[in-house]
Amino acid sequence: MGGLFNWTSFVIQIIAFGILYLLLSKFAFKPLFGIMEKRRQMVKDQMDSAEKNRADAAQFLEDQKQALQQARKEAHDIIELAKSTGSKQADEIVTAARNEAVRLKDEALRDIEAEKNKAIASLKAQVSGLSVLIASKIIEKQIDEQTQSQLVDQYLQEVGKKS
Amino acid sequence: MEHLAPIVKFGGGVNLDFAAIIMIVVTSLVAFILARLSVRNLSVENPGKLQNFMEWVVEFVSNVIGMATDFKRGRVYLTLGLTLILYIFIGNMLGLPFNFITEAHHGHATFLGMELFMDGKDEAEFAWWKSPTADASMTMALALTVIVISHIQGVRHNRKHYLKHYFEPWPFFLPINIIETLSKPLTLGLRLFGNIYAGEVMIGVILGMGWVGIPALLLWQGFSVFVGAIQAFVFTMLTMVYIGQASIHEENH
Repeated sequence: MGGLFNWTSFVIQIIAFGILYLLLSKFAFKPLFGIMEKRRQMVKDQMDSAEKNRADAAQFLEDQKQALQQARKEAHDIIELAKSTGSKQADEIVTAARNEAVRLKDEALRDIEAEKNKAIASLKAQVSGLSVLIASKIIEKQIDEQTQSQLVDQYLQEVGKKS
Repeated sequence: MEHLAPIVKFGGGVNLDFAAIIMIVVTSLVAFILARLSVRNLSVENPGKLQNFMEWVVEFVSNVIGMATDFKRGRVYLTLGLTLILYIFIGNMLGLPFNFITEAHHGHATFLGMELFMDGKDEAEFAWWKSPTADASMTMALALTVIVISHIQGVRHNRKHYLKHYFEPWPFFLPINIIETLSKPLTLGLRLFGNIYAGEVMIGVILGMGWVGIPALLLWQGFSVFVGAIQAFVFTMLTMVYIGQASIHEENH
């Protein structure tokens, strides 16, 4: 054998290894590293977007909760408002009804008064006529009718004051 | 009979070992074709089997670098580690399955018209196929390459600590530190050579047993696959450790 150590092989091996290193680096590992980096980036992006989606969903849920809360509060307010409006209206209606009743009563009373006065007036007229008639029948034309009616009026006035 | 390496002797100490050259070329080709096939249809979302395998190798070497030193700063050595582990592993495996032997008689043999060196013997057998890592010249070439890289990177990136470590813990430790430095490429290269060469010698011995040796041969070849993988890993790991020691100064050091 030519000895254990062969300088020619040694040099060839160093050169060959250098060439292999360059070739592998250029044609195999550079694209491979690029792809692996791209995949790492993709996974990172997807994780980021998943995280973002999760945050968005949480935010959305929070918004919905607040909106629900708001709606509940508004509904409550509306009910309260309706309740108070209702009771106010009821009060108003009752008051209006009471006023109307008072007004009707007053009107009726006034009507009654007026009717009474009218009745009294006609009664007075009739009474005076009748009394003239009676008096003329009784007195038999002692006094002319006009004087007679004046007298009756005077008496009746006095009667009216006393009554 | 002992197998000779098919060597052509030229003047000036140039001894072309064709077995070595063939194996260097074959191993490099296999490594390159494997890597090239694995990146043939690169895909981010749907990697093929070979791409997956190669990415696993990349992750594996990344972990090795991470174990040996700081991965962020050791990242530039990823391609070196990958080339080393591919080349050494494939080299270790190539010597296992078969051998290719020619016989020469009458003290004379030629290859491509060149006279092969026969050590003055009349009868010889030439072995054309072996692991490139079963040759000390080749493993030492790899070991020296990475050791030289580690020293260059040490001087370039970490000069102060790199020079200082020769005088630690005290200046009179300098000779010991120099011996340690010199022993690194020796142990690195000879460990690989010894393991793989011993494996091939053992295969030769078992083959000498004839038919009886077949179960032992299967067993030993399986074990050699294991040894080959471990040695490729160890070589890459130690490369990263040495480069890391020399060129990457850790803050908590």
